Amino acid sequence: MDKIIKFFSEIGKLKRMPRRGWVIREIKNPETIAEHTFRAAIVAWMLAAHKNYKLDFGKIIKIALIHDLCEVYAGDTTPYDSILPKDKKSIRELVKTWPRFSPEKRQKIAAEKFKKENAALEKLIKDLSPKLKKEIMALWLDYEKGSSPEGKFFKHADRIENFLQASEYWRDNKKIPLKPYWIQAEELHDDPVLLEFIEQIDKEFHKDKKPKN
Amino acid sequence: MEEKIFYITKKKLQELQEEHEGLLEFERKRSLSQEAPKILESEDLNPEFVSFQEDVGFLRSRIDELKNILDHHELIKNPAKNERSVVGLGAKVKIAVDGQNDEFLLVGTLEANPAMGKISNESPVGRALLGHKVGDEVFINSPMGITYKIKNIKYEIS
Repeated sequence: MDKIIKFFSEIGKLKRMPRRGWVIREIKNPETIAEHTFRAAIVAWMLAAHKNYKLDFGKIIKIALIHDLCEVYAGDTTPYDSILPKDKKSIRELVKTWPRFSPEKRQKIAAEKFKKENAALEKLIKDLSPKLKKEIMALWLDYEKGSSPEGKFFKHADRIENFLQASEYWRDNKKIPLKPYWIQAEELHDDPVLLEFIEQIDKEFHKDKKPKN
Repeated sequence: MEEKIFYITKKKLQELQEEHEGLLEFERKRSLSQEAPKILESEDLNPEFVSFQEDVGFLRSRIDELKNILDHHELIKNPAKNERSVVGLGAKVKIAVDGQNDEFLLVGTLEANPAMGKISNESPVGRALLGHKVGDEVFINSPMGITYKIKNIKYEIS
């Protein structure tokens, strides 16, 4: 039991770890990783249930709960990290665009991220029972690779939660650049329920004012 | 299960066939109480995952899902030479967007991986690019109105 308490204490750190994407955008009091996890789980479950998708909701929620555990040790990452300038002014300019890389660099970034997060998760769960370890690792791999319909759906719902949060920050502060989120959304999502949700976000958030950038 | 056509490459078809056969064999051996085989090593199929599937009873639903895909798939092939100037499934498309250049491979939903430049033909950008030619400017109807300019189209499906 002492080992499981240690595990719970370690993952409790996620309640205090701000998400890096908001930090680099200078959001005041940004949401934490655990706060994102909480809503991503509900978003995924409810959007799938809304359209009566034949998915295992228990599995979706488990994938949601564990998908960012690795960040206790690996830290949060953003797509900008490999090209992030040091000064704030340059960062403000950079986050106005969606970062694009050559196929080789994409592969390299993805491989390095996977290796780092995989090692972090293994370290985090090393003292859990073999059954729990196996289950957590399997769920995480499913999320990473989108290998089951549940893993794939959650991977996209995870981005949708991020997109919703960006829109909420923009509602409060019109200086938050939304264009990269829209570009990503239009290239990434192909699930009908998530595309419908994106349209709804547009109607809900841009009734009075359209984002300029 | 919805009857939908799954557009996949030959490589993906082989992977799915191997996974389907492997899981059927796994299920058969398990029903005979024999030791589970440890032969499932395709890139997208992690033994841990399969083992977990068995533990929680999702094995059958994955087998059914794979069968549905295999029964309703269409292979992505290179189009005839006179049709290669148009963006279609399997096209490698160089684009310019928002002051940057990028390259997409247009694939079906099962192989989509935008982080790796593989864009689904069912995504708004994928759908919009289909049927266009080099030089076309493709407008995506989003709040910012993003435009993709097509700079090059190639087909390299093996």
